[in-house]
Amino acid sequence: MTFLIVLPIFLPWLASIFATQSRIITEKRLKPYVAVVVITNFIVLFTVVSLFPKVRFHLLMVNRFIDIYLRPDSLGILFAVLASLLWIFTTFYAFEYMKHENRVRQFFVFFLFTLGVTIGIAFSGNMFTLYIFYELLTLATFPLVIHAGSEEALASGKKYIIYSFSGATLVLLGMLLVFSITNDLSFLPGGIVNFSHFGGTDHNEFIMLLVGYLSLFLGFGVKAALAPFHSWLPNAMVAPTPVSALLHAVAVVKSGIFSLMRTTYFLFGPVSVAMLGASNYLLPIIVLTIVMGSLMALHQDNLKKRLAYSTISQLGYIILGIALLNQDAFIGALLHLINHAVIKITLFFVAGAIYYQTGFKYVHQLDGIGKRMKVTMICFGLSVISLIGIPPTNGFVSKWYLALGALKAHNVLYAVALLLSAFLTAAYLLPIAVQAFFSKKETPELDAIGEGKSLDPSDTMLIPIFLLTAIVILLGILPNPIVSIVTRIAGEVF
Amino acid sequence: MQGLHLTSLLSILILMITAFIMPVIKQRQLVTKISLATMGVVLVMLALVAVDVARVEHYTATIGHYDAPFGITFDIGPIEAVVGVLFAFVSTMVVWYASFGIHKEIKENRVKLFYTLIHLLLASLLGIVFTSDLFNSFVFIEVSTLAACGLIAIKDKPENIKATMKYLILSSLGSGLVLMGIAYLYSMTGHLNMRAIHETLQVSVAGNERAILVSLTMFTIGLGIKAAMFPLHIWLPDAHASAPGPSSAILSGIVIKAPVVLLFKVLFMVYGHEILKDTVILNLILIFGATGMIMGSLFARVQTDLKRMVAYSSVAQMGYIFFGFGLGNAMGMTIAIYHILAHGLTKSCLFLSVSSFIEQTGQRDIDNMRGIGREMPITLAIFSLGGLSMVGIPMLPGFVSKWNLALAAIDYGQIFLLLIILASSLLNVSYYFPIIINGYFGNANLEGKIYKSKMKPVRELVPLILLSIMMVIVGFGSGPILDWIASAMPSL
Repeated sequence: MTFLIVLPIFLPWLASIFATQSRIITEKRLKPYVAVVVITNFIVLFTVVSLFPKVRFHLLMVNRFIDIYLRPDSLGILFAVLASLLWIFTTFYAFEYMKHENRVRQFFVFFLFTLGVTIGIAFSGNMFTLYIFYELLTLATFPLVIHAGSEEALASGKKYIIYSFSGATLVLLGMLLVFSITNDLSFLPGGIVNFSHFGGTDHNEFIMLLVGYLSLFLGFGVKAALAPFHSWLPNAMVAPTPVSALLHAVAVVKSGIFSLMRTTYFLFGPVSVAMLGASNYLLPIIVLTIVMGSLMALHQDNLKKRLAYSTISQLGYIILGIALLNQDAFIGALLHLINHAVIKITLFFVAGAIYYQTGFKYVHQLDGIGKRMKVTMICFGLSVISLIGIPPTNGFVSKWYLALGALKAHNVLYAVALLLSAFLTAAYLLPIAVQAFFSKKETPELDAIGEGKSLDPSDTMLIPIFLLTAIVILLGILPNPIVSIVTRIAGEVF
Repeated sequence: MQGLHLTSLLSILILMITAFIMPVIKQRQLVTKISLATMGVVLVMLALVAVDVARVEHYTATIGHYDAPFGITFDIGPIEAVVGVLFAFVSTMVVWYASFGIHKEIKENRVKLFYTLIHLLLASLLGIVFTSDLFNSFVFIEVSTLAACGLIAIKDKPENIKATMKYLILSSLGSGLVLMGIAYLYSMTGHLNMRAIHETLQVSVAGNERAILVSLTMFTIGLGIKAAMFPLHIWLPDAHASAPGPSSAILSGIVIKAPVVLLFKVLFMVYGHEILKDTVILNLILIFGATGMIMGSLFARVQTDLKRMVAYSSVAQMGYIFFGFGLGNAMGMTIAIYHILAHGLTKSCLFLSVSSFIEQTGQRDIDNMRGIGREMPITLAIFSLGGLSMVGIPMLPGFVSKWNLALAAIDYGQIFLLLIILASSLLNVSYYFPIIINGYFGNANLEGKIYKSKMKPVRELVPLILLSIMMVIVGFGSGPILDWIASAMPSL
């Protein structure tokens, strides 16, 4: 019965194929159908992972090189559950939001397909399987990025494809180099690369492993928006907001992060990476990513782009947590993976709601909007506070662990970078929330819309935002359950 | 079972005989049916041969009861069987596809000639692959060249005649070199049978080093011209781009593969690794292959004509095959043979779908293919699948080749060769993806295009769909195929 483990991947795929048939799934049935699929899939996911924990299922085994199998471990399950939970929220949000976009069917077809691919990434049992799903992710999300179909969207899509495939090529190079030495690419907590692979006095194998690790890291770093490979992300903001929210805060960028975790802690293992000394090359880039992302966010007037640069900087935190190679930092990285996903998706939802209700895209237009969109902007404000990391929010918890990890690495510089960036986060997001409620400026543009009535969006849009904010707060007040899960995962690899 | 062993010979004979029956039949429909039936029979026969080979691993069919080294024999092992099945399968699908539309592309009275030529071509290609007699293979090469020329020139346009002339002249040069190479070998060993030459050559290396090197070069250059090895490829884009659609599919899919198989046999079965490792030939082939992988793709990028682009992509893909030979290790050779299979299926898919774009829209320019995905969704889907295989999306055959080739390169000890393989696949992205993206997406591209308006009836697409299914199967089933090919590799 272990084959059931493939269900959470193939169910959305089958569903997306069915969704193309307009005769079976009529326009009217499309939305209920999608809703049923994502919720069912969440339940199925929960059932199979609790029925078959740590099972190993081979999809295709050609030979030692090409061995595709799934093996959901606790990290994989965590990521899969996070993604499919947020998928449900996005689905309902998208029902309302997509009303003013074309080609809704095409959108939902690829939307469902991507869900399957993301769970595939989470469940991958070795690097090769992960690579396949990683390539599929590019192909499945491409139509979503260029959904608008305009020249600008196509240009961004082109950039996305070029960056992604270059990254995947680096991953392939890294895989080949590592495979040629270890003859194995499976994931094991603590890694499969060990001292015996370093070739003793022969320096050649050491260098091949180092280059392999670096190219894997940079290759996955492209999707995780590591500088200098980040610039596809702000461009991809031309996509409809549900896509930006889900893909560019959760599925795509977090798949990159997840793959980095797999590479560092499950393929190489912290001990081997430390022996290779790879972090020395990577940490400067990561610190650059954190600071540069924040600085760039400061002067973006387009709200979604500001959020995108903020994402780059926050992803930098997580990558830093991965690269520091100690337990606290890794716990921080895992926590921030979850917290940032929930917070950023809320922020994007709000940005989308504002655009949907008023047509405003720019920050300077948002003065006084809090009076008209009370609930929405309160949620926005709470999420901003969490992202900055003011206690007792969830952002504080993850940053606390990251800072602990940074201090353990005996380098104050990283802790300073974290603090500086937290300060900058406040500088680029807090004014939006403050101005929204306390601006004294005249707002003729805003007043002209909707005759002074409340502009809060309808319930299908507002409830996801509201629930997500509730989760954000809950994660801050009661962090213990999540922290204990994450600590257990981190304990396995150290 | 000697009777069953002669199936391989019988398949060639059937093709030859039917080839000359067809011109005397009046109705076009009947000719088409005969051709399809023959192809089907040949395919089944070769499949039987393959099954037989799988059982006994290797067998020799003597022709006319004269044993080697005096009589002609067919030596059939896994490599020959696999390639034979590939040739028959691709030809069958192409003939099936051509049966719906070839009369639109060429003059009505030439249709019968078209089928005759295809039969002759397949017969001679199978001959090249199967025979273990060098002179016999030379004869088959000549037949295949002439038949291929006929398939290009059959369209009667000035550019076809020009392309044919170019092909004919270069090809004759190649044949001449091969013939001289054979003459050298004969004078050194007194044999024409490959195995006999090999055995004699092993003991008579001393004193013959120069003659061996000269003859090796002649074979490599001569067969390299025919197989479009990079700097010798100049005839290919003209020929493959101007020929009628089904001809292009055959030419690119299988015709350039037969000389490669022969080159493989000459290099590794006639000369053998002992001799090769003291010469520069393998290094040269490696360099030519690597340059071809990059330059072919670079040339393909700048083409504005869709068919020429696909033709240049063939040059790059042949580079992969030569690259594998050039590595000279068992893995490299195995993957080179596998790539013959992979590219044969993929490229015939691509050429057939391109030719149906051209047939339905009347346009050849890449720029005019915008929005084609709305008008012909299934055909573009097949084209995309082929493109994705070229780009190297996992589990499609192109990926399997690339991955194993890269491992073989690491095995060879030259890491920088990896970069060539990876760069080449990135270049493939740069010219296949724009067509797919502009075909399916973009408001400006899709404006005014009507959904499925130019689609061919589904039954005309069946051969294309079968080809692409076969391509996917070869990708997913690469494990056993690779093992089987590897079992036949000459020991190093």
